[in-house]
Parts: sequence; C-alpha cells; structure tokens
Amino acid sequence: MDTIININSLSVSFNNKSVLKDIDLNIIKNKITAIIGPSGCGKSTLLKTLNYMTYEDQFANINGDILFNKINIKEIPKEDLRRRIGLVFQNPTPFPISIYKNMVYGPVYYGKKDKKSLNILVEEKLKISGLYDEVKEDLNASALKLSGGQQQRLCIARALSVEPEVILLDEPCSSLDLKNTANIEKMLKNLSDDYTIIIVTHNLSQAKRISDYTAFILNGELIEYGETQELFTKPKDERTQEYIDGIFG
Amino acid sequence: MHKFIEKVFSLFIRLMAFMSIFLIIFIIFFILKESLVFFRQVSFLSFITGKIWRPVSVNPSYSIFPIILSTIFVSLIAIIIALPIGIGCALFISNYLDEGLRHFVKPYINILSGIPSVVYGFIGFLVIVKNFEVKLAFSSGESILAGGILLSIMILPFIISTCDESMFNIKNKYLTTSQALGVSKWYMITKLILPTARRSIIASIILCLARAMGETMAVMMVIGNSPIMPKLLSKGQTIPSLIALEMGGAQVGSLHYHGLFAAGLVLMLLLLCINIILYFLQRKLNF
Amino acid sequence: MRRYAQGYFIKLWCVLSGIIVLSLISYIIIYIIINGISVLNLSFIFDSPKGMPLGSEGGIYPAIIGSLYLTLIACFFASILAISTAIYLLFYCNSIKISNLIHLVIGCIAGIPSIIIGMFGYTLLVYQLRLGRSLIAGGITLGIMIFPVIEVKVERIISEIDSYIISSSYALGVSKTYTFFRLVLPACKRDIIASIALAGSYAMGATAPIILTSAVMFAPTPKSLTSPVMALPYHLYLLISESISIQNAYATTFVLISILLTINIIASLVAKTGR
Repeated sequence: MDTIININSLSVSFNNKSVLKDIDLNIIKNKITAIIGPSGCGKSTLLKTLNYMTYEDQFANINGDILFNKINIKEIPKEDLRRRIGLVFQNPTPFPISIYKNMVYGPVYYGKKDKKSLNILVEEKLKISGLYDEVKEDLNASALKLSGGQQQRLCIARALSVEPEVILLDEPCSSLDLKNTANIEKMLKNLSDDYTIIIVTHNLSQAKRISDYTAFILNGELIEYGETQELFTKPKDERTQEYIDGIFG
Repeated sequence: MHKFIEKVFSLFIRLMAFMSIFLIIFIIFFILKESLVFFRQVSFLSFITGKIWRPVSVNPSYSIFPIILSTIFVSLIAIIIALPIGIGCALFISNYLDEGLRHFVKPYINILSGIPSVVYGFIGFLVIVKNFEVKLAFSSGESILAGGILLSIMILPFIISTCDESMFNIKNKYLTTSQALGVSKWYMITKLILPTARRSIIASIILCLARAMGETMAVMMVIGNSPIMPKLLSKGQTIPSLIALEMGGAQVGSLHYHGLFAAGLVLMLLLLCINIILYFLQRKLNF
Repeated sequence: MRRYAQGYFIKLWCVLSGIIVLSLISYIIIYIIINGISVLNLSFIFDSPKGMPLGSEGGIYPAIIGSLYLTLIACFFASILAISTAIYLLFYCNSIKISNLIHLVIGCIAGIPSIIIGMFGYTLLVYQLRLGRSLIAGGITLGIMIFPVIEVKVERIISEIDSYIISSSYALGVSKTYTFFRLVLPACKRDIIASIALAGSYAMGATAPIILTSAVMFAPTPKSLTSPVMALPYHLYLLISESISIQNAYATTFVLISILLTINIIASLVAKTGR
C-alpha cells in the first residue's frame, strides 16, 4: 500500500496546553480516512497542522515531523503544500463573489489565464461536486445566494479547482441536512478514486459508511487506527469499544 | 512572480504602517520637546497656578490658571446641560419610539455631529450671544455660559448615540422578561435600564469632556477671549482658543511660542487625567 | 399614587428631552436653509471675493476649490497610511504586543485636540520645513487629524469578514496579497470608500488645523501645492470675527453644509448598494 502522508510522533500544544500527543499515523493514498473522536479531542488541530495552518499560530508549539510524499512538509514551500493539500472547513465559506469567480480564484493565481481552459475546469469540478446542473444557468450569480448544502459543495469544488492530491475535510456535513449530507458523501466516494481524502467527523455512522480507514483520537492521543470494518466490528482497545457504543462523546 | 508581488506588497504595507506609527510618536515627542523648553525658564507650578497671562508686555508673565479654569468650567457647564437632555433623549429613542421611527430619528440626530464647529460658532454668535445682549440685556453676550450652552448642543449627539445603543440592547434583552413580571415601563427604566447603562453613560462623559475641552472654533467665537478668572457670565478664554489666536503672532522659538506649546501640553495632560479618573470610576462601577 | 407620579415624571422627562433635541436640530437646519437661500445666487458661488473689506461683496469660488483640494490631499495622505496600518494589523502583525502598542498609539493621536495637531503642523511643516502657509501643509495636517478615524473604521470593516473565509483562501495556497486584492478588497471596497468620504467631510469642516497651516484671507485658486489657499470654514470665521458681512456668512454656511451633506449622502449610498 502506498502511503502519502506519514505523521511521526507529532505533538502540538497551545500556550503550554497539550492538544495532540505523540501521534503516529500513516495515511494511505487514494483512500478515505476518517478521524473520529469526541469534540475537543484535537481532530481539527491535526487537520490544520497537515495544511501548515497551525504553524502560523504564534501560540502553537509543534514537535515531530510530517512527511508528504516522503518529504518533510517544512521543506515544501507553504503555498505549494497548500495547493496540494486542500482544506474544507466545517461551515461553508463561499467567497462573497460570483460562483464562477469562486471557482477560478485559485487557478488564476497559479497562472491559468486562458478563458477556455478555465471554463472547462470550472465545468469539470462543478460536475464532480454535483453542483453543475443546479447552477449552470447562473454561474455569475453571487455564491452567497446558494443554499447551505450547495455552498459546501461549492467549497469542495473550489478546493478541487487547484488540483490537489489530498483533501482535508473538517466535519463538512455538520451544518447540513440529511439530503445534502447524502449528496456530499456520494461525491466523496467518487472522489476517492483520484484523491486521498481525510475527513474529520463526529458522526460515527458517516465514518462507517464512507471511509476505508478510521483513526480514533481521544484527549489528543491516537487510540486506534485501522481498517474501518475492523475498527467498528472488532476494536482492539476498550476505549474504542466504549466510544463506538456511545458511552462517551 | 507571486512571491515577488507578495514581497513588494508586504514590504510596502510594513513600511507605511511603520511610518504612520513613527509619525504619531514623533508628533507626541515633538509637542513634548517644544513645551519642555518652556519649563526650563518658567516653573511648571507657577505656569499652572499663576493668574496673569501677559506674554508680550515689557515684563511678561506666563501663567494660565484662569485659562485652565475656563476650559474646565465651560466643558462642565456643557456636560451639566447636555447630560440630562441627552440621557432623556436616548431613553426616548430607545424606549418610546418604534423600530421604523427610530431608524428615521437616529440619522436625523446624527446631522448634529456632522455640522462643522465653525458653523456652530457662527450660529452661537448670532443667536445665543445676540439674544443675551438684546433680550436679556447682558452687558456682553460673549461669556462662559454662552460657550457652555453652545458646547452642550455640540456634544448632545455623542451622548445620545453612545447611550441609546446600550439602552436599546438592554431593553431588547429584558423587555419580555420584565413585562412578564407585570412592571411598568418607567419602573424598568429606573430599576433596570439606567443602572445597567451607567457604564456607557460614563463613557459618553469621557468622550464629551475630551471633545468639549479640545474644541476650538465654536468656543472661540462666543466666549470673548480674555484671560481673566472665569465667572458664569464673564468672558473667558480656553486653551485651544488661546493657541489658535496667539500662535500665528508668536515669534517661533520665543518664550511666548513655547508657552503656547506648554499650554497645549497642559490640555493634553488634563484630558489624560480625566481619562484615568473615569477609567477607575468605571472599574469601580463594574459588577 | 407616588408610583404613578414617578412614572409620569420619567415619561415627561424622556418625551421633553426628545422634543427639545429634535426641535433644536430642526431649528438649526431651518435657520441655515432660510438664511442661506435668501442671499445665495450663482455669482456668489462662481465669483472671487471682492469689496472693501474683502469678502463683503463678490463670491467664494476660490474658497470652495481650496477646501476641495485640502480635503483631497488630506484623504489621500491619511487613507494610504491608515489603510496600510489596518492591513498590517490584520494580516501581517503576528505579535499581540506590537498590535496593542499600535492601537494605543492610534488612540493617543485620536485623543489629541485638532488645534494641537495644527500647532504641530505650523511649527514643523510651515516653519521648519519652510513650506509656508500652503495647500500641502494644511492637507497633511488635516490628514493627520483624520488618520485615526479612517484607520479605526477600515480595521473594523475588514475584520467583519468571516475569518474562515480568509483561512479558506490561504488553504488554497494563495498568497496574502492575492487574498487581499481578489477577496478582501472587492468585498469591502465600497465601505472603505464611504468611510474615507465621511472622514473627508470631517476634514472639510475643520478650521482649527488649517488656521495656522494653510488658510489665508484671500488667495486665488491654488496653482501649486505650496500656494496658500482660501478655505470655506476659515473664510466663514473671518466673515464673522472681522464683522465683514453677515449676509455672505449665511451664504457661505449654506454652501459648506450643502457640500458636506452631499458627500454624506453619496457615501451612505455607496455603502448601501454594496450590501
């Protein structure tokens, strides 16, 4: 199995308050990895660290190494790293400009100026996210006019627009209804052929439905990591069993 | 390419931000420097406690006690007149007007804060001063009282907008709960809104005192500008009007010139003191 | 019974204060309009001051143009510095200590009375830098006065943008500059322009800073940055304090207030259509 991200004994603390403790985790390429755990356990911090966001926080203290394609992320230019590892936040964050401009925002930055290839790209990515048919008449409308679910799919499409290799999703469905959640889950399933996806979720059934691998984090420690099927049916650690059974969190 | 633009832009921003801050600090030091020269020749104590300001006579005297007193006096009169009306008006807007009328009345009141002070001075001169002379038969309409009345109109919009904002929030937060207890509106105003809004009332007093004491044009045009001990109906002179009137005529570098800077410094120190006093007052009232 | 009396008293107090304030405003507005309109005509706007003493006849054209120039220079000078400072604080400043220090310094300058800033401009710009009483000296002095006004407003406008939106832009690997120009600026440029215009109208009405630094009794429309200028508020002050002409003072007030009102209305329209 190809691994794409290797996290070696990563510890993160804010203002001397430890958030992640000694995490070792190898993310496998072109699979969906779910990170589960009760809220406040450090899941989101882990994602932001992968994307180098945490490094810019002046209160953060980070130890350990993260390798992306076997290269330490500190040695990769920040912008390049973020282009290759996309991040989608919990609440939809459409830019307050038109849908089309949202989509070409990144590509234009990376030098794609040709109108035709931009149009093709926009169409392609919006189709992947299942939004194209809903908005094709109205690409110049403000992205703020879309519904919450549409906005979140736009954000995923926007993250895809710069051709990343990995997509990080921080509880992307927590503010959406069932139907939109189903849409996004279906889309993520399709995406995993071409992209590596890491999704933070506190919705266990969602993790079970869509992920290939699952990591369980509790109080900043990685308790268990393995194939989703196995982790949910035969967890090795007692605490994992308790969490799955809904005893805490 | 992007790296280059980013570098240039961030450099530009840092440079400009640094320049702004440097400029401000420079201004403050500049004023300090120009006024401290003065205190090498005249003692600070005699400057602020002596009674005679006579900078251009043969044996000059540099003391601004009456001027400091007038500055404070005028501002206090303004606050005393404006505060009850301002608070009452804020209560009126926040409690007795419905949403639609409020949106119409608030910008209307804000017109007051957009009128330049020289226009206030003009109207004050023609209306307040002239009426004092003609209708009330004062020997001179130009007086501390006229300045105070005029200033009170100028600071009204600041009192109203600061108080109204917090009163409106308090009302919205507790109105239903309070009504559920069956108490009347005036009871809610006295027992709930006024006590809770006192922090913003004090904040508005700081703001307005500072504005009133630093106000130049309007006061200068109605107060008569003579550096004598102020009485309610006598003429007076405030620090800003002293600077505005005499700076242009003072030889740069002369003691008179540095004395004016020193007066400016005293004004700034006064403002600082008020801020500090009211800061502690506000902390004491904190609950 | 006492209770009712108190309630009645409070209601009386509120309503009475409201009536006093509202009628006061109406009085001032009507006073300016009625007295202004009756003496205003086109030649007053487009003529230079004439007569003896100067200003008792003729118009105020050089003062209108002078005021507009002063305001433009002040806005230009202040907004470059103020917007840069706001961007620095929100995008580039990583230390809370530095940002607190900058806020403290800005608070200081905001608290300095305008006459003292005028005094500074007089000594440094007019005298030590030998600019003389000039457009540029007055413009910069007014600029220093409105700098904190613009800075505080721009900082608030930009920080009202959801921080996650800016984070998602960074998450695409895009630089801060690109984020600012492509995302932040389009979203809030109208509000920023409106706040600059409002600060400009504050500068245009201010007399104290220019009394020492640039305004003179009479000057033609300025030819260069170093020429002295006439300005509406200072002209108004002279008309009254030198007892030149009350009629022309009414008309000047009317013109000044009309310009300020126009700026204010345009600014609020610009800000509203952006929403």
